[in-house]
Amino acid sequence: MTIQETATVLWNHSINTEYAHIGLACGAGYADARPGQFVTLRLPDRSTPLLRRPFSIHRKISANNETTGIEILYKIVGSFTRTLSLAKEGDRIDLLGPLGHGFSISEQHRKISLVAGGIGIAPLVFLYDALKESGVSFSESAVFIGGRTQTDILCKSVFSSSNIKQFITTEDGSEGEAGMLTAPLSRWLKSHRPDMIYACGSMPMLKAVIAIARLEHVFCEVSVETMMACGIGACLGCAIQTNMDSEKYRHVCVDGPVFNAEELIEG
Amino acid sequence: MTSKNLKVDIGGITLNNPVMTASGTFGYGKEFESFVDLNRIGAIIVKGLSLKPSKGNSPPRIIETPSGMLNAIGLENIGIETFITGKLPALKDFETPVFVNIYGTTIDEYAALADRIQDVDGISGMEVNISCPNVKAGGIAFGVDCRAAADVVRAVRLKTSKPLMVKLSPNVTDIVEIAKSVEDAGADSISLINTITGMLIDIETRKPKLANITGGLSGPAIKPVALRMVWQVARAVKVPVIGIGGICSAEDALEFFIAGATAVQVGTANFINPRATLDILEGIEGYLETRQIKDIGELIGSIRS
Repeated sequence: MTIQETATVLWNHSINTEYAHIGLACGAGYADARPGQFVTLRLPDRSTPLLRRPFSIHRKISANNETTGIEILYKIVGSFTRTLSLAKEGDRIDLLGPLGHGFSISEQHRKISLVAGGIGIAPLVFLYDALKESGVSFSESAVFIGGRTQTDILCKSVFSSSNIKQFITTEDGSEGEAGMLTAPLSRWLKSHRPDMIYACGSMPMLKAVIAIARLEHVFCEVSVETMMACGIGACLGCAIQTNMDSEKYRHVCVDGPVFNAEELIEG
Repeated sequence: MTSKNLKVDIGGITLNNPVMTASGTFGYGKEFESFVDLNRIGAIIVKGLSLKPSKGNSPPRIIETPSGMLNAIGLENIGIETFITGKLPALKDFETPVFVNIYGTTIDEYAALADRIQDVDGISGMEVNISCPNVKAGGIAFGVDCRAAADVVRAVRLKTSKPLMVKLSPNVTDIVEIAKSVEDAGADSISLINTITGMLIDIETRKPKLANITGGLSGPAIKPVALRMVWQVARAVKVPVIGIGGICSAEDALEFFIAGATAVQVGTANFINPRATLDILEGIEGYLETRQIKDIGELIGSIRS
């Protein structure tokens, strides 16, 4: 059930100069939230920026086995996120969610590859938590974290809680392997066959990952981002062309943000 | 609380209150069910519908602007038949009057839509869209010319006895002339304004930010323009005028009533706050209460010089 509520800021910490994460206390509606789902935020009493902004759910916050809040990982890129980064404990934020369709988790998919470009790591941590809960051992799984530079490499320590293999790439070589994460992904796929690749990142990165997944015949789900106004399927602003039906656009907010890679047109 | 009368007659139909939803900003109604008690909205105007489903424009379709947004959705819709069979039944559970916004690419299409809707139970009226700036072959072509606008309205009027609202474009030299001609052609009410045509360019790529190049500007940025046009039209016509344009608060809505609007439509605000319609309604009630105004009618057109 999607609800609009006033959430209270639990904490708001910067990770480095460009990234931060915020904890929001909210109602019980997030107990059933799925990895890949998102929320939209609005800063109260501010008319600029005007529109709500969508954010992936990064993690659930729990106490005594009950979901009491959510965590959002965000990159400070514009006026909205700059203002968000100034929010203090106890501040109130208009929260609407959970929204959209998340990643599929299946008993058949036990060997996993997680592929994250920059802030694309945000929903994949929630997914990792959920996969772990569903009994995935990660012994034959891998996580690929890529970015332009060292600052973009986030959440490494999260994955130390299992024996999942970690591959890190930066375009400038400041951390891990120099280059794109598609390089270690391609190498990994030569010797390992994941049951599923889950990816989130920029559109060019996702297209590259989709191409590799197709080449190797591996199932792949990707979470995409577009401009969005309402987040609830009313404005139809977040149209995306898929190859399911050339006569119709699908809408990232309600049909996504997670799509089966097969649905997305190449090129 | 003293009893206040919020009922308004918008031409052929009386609404319980004057706060409606603007077409294209409230989906087909059901999308907002989790956030708003749909029964409390004055009237729901659904997304613009054509005879056949329409794919709409290529993305990107929207972009935020200072105090507003630019959109070029291009009237993507499921078509009148799928609406009637698939979406309307769910709306019948609510008491709120439903207006269907219709657009065509020819006068015959407008007439055919009106004809199709005429006997459909659960549709209280129609809003004729002659003002969408994002569809080349239709919409706006009829909205910028007095004779073409009147021809569309006359053709629709011949097919329907349901309340007929006509939505005007601000992208004209003299909106009063258009308003008078659609009134003469048989409109029961006039709603204005649709979005104002605009564009944005990315200075890095030097490409327009919208795939359609131009789009329609909405939101708080256009409110003063809308208010001015509503004031001009309300003085010039006898039929009720419905104010639209950047209404985000009760204060915004009240300005429109004072300028002469009998009712208002809330648009872009629904995207920012899905409960906007009811927040605005409650704010209007509070204003009337504090000032001991018993009837919203006392406010309408009460502008002082």
